[in-house]
Amino acid sequence: MDLHQIGTLYAHEVRSALRERSIVVFSILIPLVMYPALLWVAFSGISFIQGQAERITTRVALVDLPAAHSPLADSLMENSRLTLVEWDESTEGSRAALVDGRLDALVEFLPPDPEAGSLPDNFRVRISYSEVRDRSRTARRLLTSSLDQYREEWLDRERAGMGVGATEWADYAVVREDIATSEENTRFLLGTMVPFLTLIIVALAAFYPAIDATAGERERSTWETLLSSAARRGDVATAKYLYVATFGTVGGLLNLGALALALHWIIRPLAGSDADDFAGGALPLEAIPLIVAGTALLALFVAAGMLAFSIFARNFKEGQSMISPFYMLIFLPALFVQSPDVEFTPRIAMIPLVNVAVLLREAIMGSVPLVPGLLTLLTMGVCVAVAIALVQWVMRNEDVLLGATDGGLLSYLRRRIRNGASRAR
Amino acid sequence: MYSPDDENPNRPPVHTEALTKVFYDEDRGEVRAVDSVDISCGRGEIFGLLGANGAGKTTTLRMLSTILRPTAGRAWVMGHEVRAAPEEVRRNLGFYSASTALYPKITPRETLRFFARVNGFPRDRVEGRVEELIRRFRIEEYADTRVERLSSGMKQKVSIARTVVHDPPVLIFDEPTVALDVLNAIELREFISELRDEGKAILFSTHIMSEAEQLCDRIGIIHRGAILATGTLEELREKTGLHYLEEIFVRFAHVGAPEEAVRENIRG
Repeated sequence: MDLHQIGTLYAHEVRSALRERSIVVFSILIPLVMYPALLWVAFSGISFIQGQAERITTRVALVDLPAAHSPLADSLMENSRLTLVEWDESTEGSRAALVDGRLDALVEFLPPDPEAGSLPDNFRVRISYSEVRDRSRTARRLLTSSLDQYREEWLDRERAGMGVGATEWADYAVVREDIATSEENTRFLLGTMVPFLTLIIVALAAFYPAIDATAGERERSTWETLLSSAARRGDVATAKYLYVATFGTVGGLLNLGALALALHWIIRPLAGSDADDFAGGALPLEAIPLIVAGTALLALFVAAGMLAFSIFARNFKEGQSMISPFYMLIFLPALFVQSPDVEFTPRIAMIPLVNVAVLLREAIMGSVPLVPGLLTLLTMGVCVAVAIALVQWVMRNEDVLLGATDGGLLSYLRRRIRNGASRAR
Repeated sequence: MYSPDDENPNRPPVHTEALTKVFYDEDRGEVRAVDSVDISCGRGEIFGLLGANGAGKTTTLRMLSTILRPTAGRAWVMGHEVRAAPEEVRRNLGFYSASTALYPKITPRETLRFFARVNGFPRDRVEGRVEELIRRFRIEEYADTRVERLSSGMKQKVSIARTVVHDPPVLIFDEPTVALDVLNAIELREFISELRDEGKAILFSTHIMSEAEQLCDRIGIIHRGAILATGTLEELREKTGLHYLEEIFVRFAHVGAPEEAVRENIRG
């Protein structure tokens, strides 16, 4: 291995790539802009929809309201988002009206259960609505809230009338207390979101450089120019690998930086009363080196995998189709971190990609256990070494080097195994 | 792989012994693209490989430049065996062909700098060498323009400069004029003659008879992977009794099978 040579080849790859518009756009600009822009659009959209929902007025019908509870109708009418309509249609007619939107909720007052009938004027309520209509769901929510409040007040009045004190009346009470601070809640949210986004962006940022470094050389007819130079094949492979890994790492880190800025400058103002959940300091400082290391590990793995697939491609189109299955496959492990029940155990630390995704989550949450952390480094190191060795082994085959093979990595391995077996016979 | 014979000081800069390349094709089985080729090229000499398309010229030259690995036989470039010391071979060699294009996103100056470094030219002399070639090939005006914006004539000059930037003693030109217009082809041939005068050993492949006649000191006629005859134009004329190289080539290529008999007759 000649470090000077690798440095020269690497600088050359990076310089060429930085002048290639498609690589700059997909590996740098999109990571920098896409997720902040998407977040802004998503939050703006959610805010808009919430605003629209706040203004929805619903049509509600009360059927068989007991005279003793006529104040309930008055309190419902006080809510500007509920409009009481006269209703005398049959059950079937009412159901049809709920489906076609002429009515949003039907409130039927029914006799109480026999056991509950001892309380004078007690009643049951059935709310009919359609879960598949926004307006109907809103009507149900507003009605439930109003009915609960009315019930509480009515029961209080009845209890007072019977001379029962409030303390004797309440047999037990449930008090909920979330001991997580808003900062911790934010970290939890980021911990489930950031590993997934990082993986997507690292893969996206490495995608085009991997194709450019292999199929691109063949398509431009520069491959033979390079191979006829005095550079060792291994040094060429190493330089190309470092180039792809660099773009993956830089793309991933740029995205994380842009995401942090987006949370602080875009999402926080939009979040209104929830602004504290997006406090700038939610990310622990000690997590940053681990996040950088995790992103680099992901990029090293993804770069090796992508090169192993794209080395067989003869042009950009083939390169895209050969890498795509790998690109899709690497997202599966990221789904693991969506479940908070997945703990960072030594066993998890030995599953490539899943381990880094969980490590990133733990780093953001503020603590990374030592043994799984080290096991993650070891596992990913071994995977990267195997993948690089695979790339170098494949690059030793001149048919692959000159683009004379049909099919991709898997076909190549199959052929090699078949030829090996026939030679052994 | 090493043999004491590798250090033979009397061996010419380029020398092959029974150089053979067999490809495996799933439909056709084993294909003998180059079959026991023996050629050599001395200092200050242009050796022309003359053959039709698919005769084995490019495969032979690719083996010499270590892009392909020989199946059998041996080849030396400046005393370095192609399988034992491929990096040393390439360091002593400049390879130019229609399939050795330039990187489109970098400038001619950057191209020359990159290939000088990667071919092991002394680092402290790289800048001087680059400037020297820029002047020699009169590419000052566009030395800092990206290659993708250059005309094909300009690219050709840069490409030749790229081939010689590390001042290799051996140069291989594989059908270099195939995509060039007449003027550019003439200019390229003149330059190759200059390189011969500077003492370089030059291997030149072509299927254009007039080009081989004008340029080559010795010619090897290659057909179906085998060298059928080698010699100066005069020697080939004497052997065949024919005057024009085109006639000579057709005679060699069309003399009936079996090939071994053809070879014996011609050599005899």
